[in-house]
Amino acid sequence: MRRTVGVAAASAAAMVLVAGCGGGPQSGGDQKLTGDKIVLGVLNDQSGAYSELSGKNSVKAVEMAIADFKAKHGDKAVTKDITVETADHQNKPDIANSKAAEMYDRKGVDLILDVPTSSAALKVADVAKEKKKLYFNIGAATTDLTGKSCNKYTFHYAYDTYMLANGTGKTTTEQIGKNWYILYPNYAFGQDMEKSFSAAITQAGGTVVGKDGAPFPNTSGDYSTFLLKAPTLNPKPQVLGTMQAGAELVNVVKQYNEFKLREKGVGLAVGLMFLTDIHSLTPAALAGTTYTDAWYWNFDAKNREFADRFQKETNARPTFAHAANYSAATQYLEAVQAAGTDDADAVVKNLEGKTVEDVFLRNGKIRAEDHRVVHDAYLAQVKPQSEVSEPWDYVKVLKTIPAAEAFRAPSSDCKM
Amino acid sequence: MTGFLQNTFNGLVSGAFYALLALGLAVIFGMLRVVNFAHGAFYMLGAFGAYVLLTEAGVPFWAALVIMPVGLGLLGMALERAFIHRLTRLDPLYNFLLTFGLTLILQDLVKLRYGVQSSPYATPSALSGTVDFGIFDFPAYRVFILGFALAVCVGVWWVLTRTRIGMVVRAATERPELTRAFGIDVGRWVTPVFGFGIGLAGLAGVLAAPMRAVNPLMGADLIIVVFAVVVIGGLGSIFGSVAAGFGIGLVQAWGEAYLSAFPIVSQTIVFIVMAVVLLWRPAGLFGREEAPA
Amino acid sequence: MTSIVDTPADAARPAVPSGLVTVARAPGWVRYALLAVGLAVALWLPNGLYAAVAVDILCWALFAVAVDLLLGFTGLMSFGHAAFWGTSAYVTGLVAIHAGLPFPVAVLAGALAAAVLAVPIGYLAVKRTGIYFAMVTLAFAQMVYYVANEWRSVTRGENGLQGVPRELFGLDLTDDYYFYYAILPIVLLGLAAAWRIVQSPFGRVLVGIRDNPARARALGYPVHRYKLTAFVLSGFIAGLGGGLFAVGHRFVSLDVLHWTTSGKAVIVVVLGGIGTLWGGVLGAGVVVLLEDWLSFSGFEAIGLVTGGIFVLVVLLFRRGIWGSAAALALRRMAARRR
Repeated sequence: MRRTVGVAAASAAAMVLVAGCGGGPQSGGDQKLTGDKIVLGVLNDQSGAYSELSGKNSVKAVEMAIADFKAKHGDKAVTKDITVETADHQNKPDIANSKAAEMYDRKGVDLILDVPTSSAALKVADVAKEKKKLYFNIGAATTDLTGKSCNKYTFHYAYDTYMLANGTGKTTTEQIGKNWYILYPNYAFGQDMEKSFSAAITQAGGTVVGKDGAPFPNTSGDYSTFLLKAPTLNPKPQVLGTMQAGAELVNVVKQYNEFKLREKGVGLAVGLMFLTDIHSLTPAALAGTTYTDAWYWNFDAKNREFADRFQKETNARPTFAHAANYSAATQYLEAVQAAGTDDADAVVKNLEGKTVEDVFLRNGKIRAEDHRVVHDAYLAQVKPQSEVSEPWDYVKVLKTIPAAEAFRAPSSDCKM
Repeated sequence: MTGFLQNTFNGLVSGAFYALLALGLAVIFGMLRVVNFAHGAFYMLGAFGAYVLLTEAGVPFWAALVIMPVGLGLLGMALERAFIHRLTRLDPLYNFLLTFGLTLILQDLVKLRYGVQSSPYATPSALSGTVDFGIFDFPAYRVFILGFALAVCVGVWWVLTRTRIGMVVRAATERPELTRAFGIDVGRWVTPVFGFGIGLAGLAGVLAAPMRAVNPLMGADLIIVVFAVVVIGGLGSIFGSVAAGFGIGLVQAWGEAYLSAFPIVSQTIVFIVMAVVLLWRPAGLFGREEAPA
Repeated sequence: MTSIVDTPADAARPAVPSGLVTVARAPGWVRYALLAVGLAVALWLPNGLYAAVAVDILCWALFAVAVDLLLGFTGLMSFGHAAFWGTSAYVTGLVAIHAGLPFPVAVLAGALAAAVLAVPIGYLAVKRTGIYFAMVTLAFAQMVYYVANEWRSVTRGENGLQGVPRELFGLDLTDDYYFYYAILPIVLLGLAAAWRIVQSPFGRVLVGIRDNPARARALGYPVHRYKLTAFVLSGFIAGLGGGLFAVGHRFVSLDVLHWTTSGKAVIVVVLGGIGTLWGGVLGAGVVVLLEDWLSFSGFEAIGLVTGGIFVLVVLLFRRGIWGSAAALALRRMAARRR
């Protein structure tokens, strides 16, 4: 044992020595652009559950944004040396944490984009705050990013739980049915969604007749207990609101059809759904289902033009996450161009309070109070199979939700 | 009362999947002393295979129900000859590790080719209706699964108890040394039995395709519950695995319906049952006591 | 029941000892040279690698050594050690956040909590051996996972415990580079403790139980109690690693309890060499570096690579890196002597 103590003492001594010699990493100088170039980092899921709705195609979207920026500004561009770094965080917060730090420290990344999965997103927000570098979240839904976990260097693009619940809950209650049964996965995301939905439904004059938290993760994959219960409630719900996402949503919808709930007069509303989910379930399984979308590729000519270019690059139609990544990269580059530097504080100053209009952001505004990027959202309904005229054109937009109503007011929890 | 019957019925349907998977594990374990970690991956391959057959070759559900178990059984036999066979003389843990590695590979191969998004698979049209049981009606497909799985379990039981092959397998399972001493060539049955067990997993996968999300990870968490099921039933016991499979399905369904106020309990009920069984009968409900260790 | 260390192929040859024994039998200067090289590498590591990656290697090294203590020296393969790694991570995080104690105290509290949890799980699990033991530990770990998942008021569920502080008497340890040197003594102490356990009379009884449980029982050793003690000690060391991991990442997520984490620990040990103790440290380095490299390489199928390597190791190099190297060195030495 004596030798062990010696080893510990020696290593402690060495630690002081190394620390004293200033062996730690060096910080950069004070040029206009760090390293004379701009590096955008896309940190997202490239192999797991979110890899198709965002993933590598979001990297393509960011590359498109860079090309467009260069074409627009030509020789006047602040730099022509703009590159993309990318990493797979596998939806694991600890990997997201180390990759984000590594991107900022070692890869010279000026802005991190995307980061789906709330736990990973919150972690990267911490890293951005500590390193004083920018971070635009797109893929995660938690309102904590603009609430108690908000910070000066983090912006939240695209969507959040409030927007999803408010859009679908309110509009569906007004237009489709007043009585709801809510089924949610029993974890943070599902519970947030359930609360937001219930509030939105009640506010719109509807009633939540019943609600149940299903196990999460649901290893048996079975939801029959809940689906059987729904039509027997009194008063009978007209809408089943499911907050499940991804594979769990697929299970719920399959079993919803199996138990013939639509035929029994219970419609379906979905908390969070991506175009890729509709593609995998087929429109036939979902016809008539309502949900809130942050952006839809076939909404108007401008979107369609972007979608066509995107399809040439990737062979797929863009989801809202792809369009949001394109928009976020563009807005960042424009802000650097305007500020003349990639110094994070100067860029933040330029972004705060700015009103923006681009292919993704309609009536967009970057709120200074909580760094929420607000814009129009859309209540979408899945078309019956007979109305689907081309691949990926699965929904019609029932209503445009104006930017001012789509997102919650800045939260008092947020202290920059 | 109606609600209770419906929940019971659904529990049995979930249990049917556990039973088919646990039965395959038990048969393989009995003959080879291998706990096949890749069982969940083969379940996934069964479901995926049905999807690929339908979308790329137009092969309907009913044909897939035959093709996939047979095809996967053959694949299983090939894997047994190529890999597992080399390790059967060693500690069974090595094969557990090997099949764990195979699971990672199989999942990622499917992921690379088809992505992680769930793939669509419709219920066969003949079974898309409901069956009227008087006081409640029930999806025809679920009735079919329950009946089919019960028939398969009874069929396997019949083969094991009434045929010569079955006798050999059972003898080899329960008294391997003695069986060899009688001059029965156990070795020639090892590969087919492994293939048969894998085929059962594939069968469960095909049955799951219309009901469950078909994606590369669909078997990953499921296999752990199935492990708990076979520990409860008694790893070597054929009957135990089937009974525990249906039993756990029931317990989970009842737990979900009547203990929904305590989500921790309804989530972990399988493992609680396992802990109780281990305290009370360490070898499982229907297992024989292993040699003292 | 043969132990996982002795393969029949080995048994056929005149007793090829495990890597650890090889090193122990190596001449004194070899042992000291290896120790010196190991320490030099440990001291240099964050200068050659990204510091956060180096921190991960240290944490995983402890975890691997804990798993090997059971697998290599007691013959019990735990496929559920994430339960201890993860429980300690959560307890460490909670203590550090709410009590504001220096992080080594929080880590100690976490490791103790892991050891306490190891008592009931171990009590039930050691009733079974071999493959049953693996399945039972796997199932219990999954149960702990579900409990943490549901117990949201404490664990914050899916969002994870955010903002675990790196408090150490007001020192600024936010830079991973300095943090590495702050935890290195703790990790070395943990590794030394594992070494002591293996070398002690208690450790020799464990190996005896591993090789021939019936004989150990006949000699009057309370086999279950020995196994349980080993299980709890292993849980404690895994807990040390998990606690440091929590402070290192400054947060805790449910992933620390997921069965894939247990599986990764076993992969690390098998790759490094079962029953070699230091092989686990080596395996940790290889696996952490490999994963780090893969996630920036743009290659999607990480499981394909780790799974493939794992299958190859199980089929062809069951002694792992350390064990193979040690066996090779021993053969060389024997040849020279001849």
